[in-house]
Amino acid sequence: MLFSPGWRAPVRQGEVLAVFTLGLLLGGVLSAAVAWLLSGLAAPLPSSARAMAIVVVAALGAAREFGLVRIPLPQNARQIPQDVLQIRLRRGTLQFGFELGTGVRTYVSASSPYVLALGLLLSHQGPAASLLVGAAFGAGRALSAALTYLARDPARDAAVSLRMPWIKSATALSTLAALALLLAPGTDRLG
Amino acid sequence: MPQLTAPAGRLRRGLTEPLLPVAALTLLAVTAAALDAAVLCWAAVGALAGYALSGSV
Repeated sequence: MLFSPGWRAPVRQGEVLAVFTLGLLLGGVLSAAVAWLLSGLAAPLPSSARAMAIVVVAALGAAREFGLVRIPLPQNARQIPQDVLQIRLRRGTLQFGFELGTGVRTYVSASSPYVLALGLLLSHQGPAASLLVGAAFGAGRALSAALTYLARDPARDAAVSLRMPWIKSATALSTLAALALLLAPGTDRLG
Repeated sequence: MPQLTAPAGRLRRGLTEPLLPVAALTLLAVTAAALDAAVLCWAAVGALAGYALSGSV
């Protein structure tokens, strides 16, 4: 729990959030850089085939979130040790955010991050665009913590837990809609 | 921290509703796709993917 023992604690929670967000951004950028490097392997494939594969992957992700297909996710089934946060607050928070931001150091329980990773691999975008997408992933991951900080509502964690199935399904469906529109046949937006 | 009045608390709770970022990012991603703004669309999809992991922290 990042903000334990809650927003009333005497430690500067805003500073913790800022360092945590920085770690998430750096982790997301690192993973995106790796995806960009590997995306060169997909470059020889025709752009139409890559576009179709991205939309199919997004459709499978949405189908999985709606329970239409069962696809096990290849995740790193471990938690980042809590003592990371207990030794040195700033450094530990940065490390915690960085490990979460990479998306490969702990549980990834939703389909959308896998769709994003495969999308980056198959779309073979430029390095700047790829790194920006990685930073956006980190920012998206930081958003919930920022809203929890701003809400100052002890019941918000419960509200998030209650809505998580909706959040996962809606993000997967939105991802499918946006990518299908972006990569519709005849648009040739993968170059 | 001063105690929030009831309307202010309700407003704050409404503005930090967990589903609100999904709606905003969806609108951004779809609009960017429709306008052929590929990088912005991918960035919004990236943010959605990150937000989908909200329950982890």
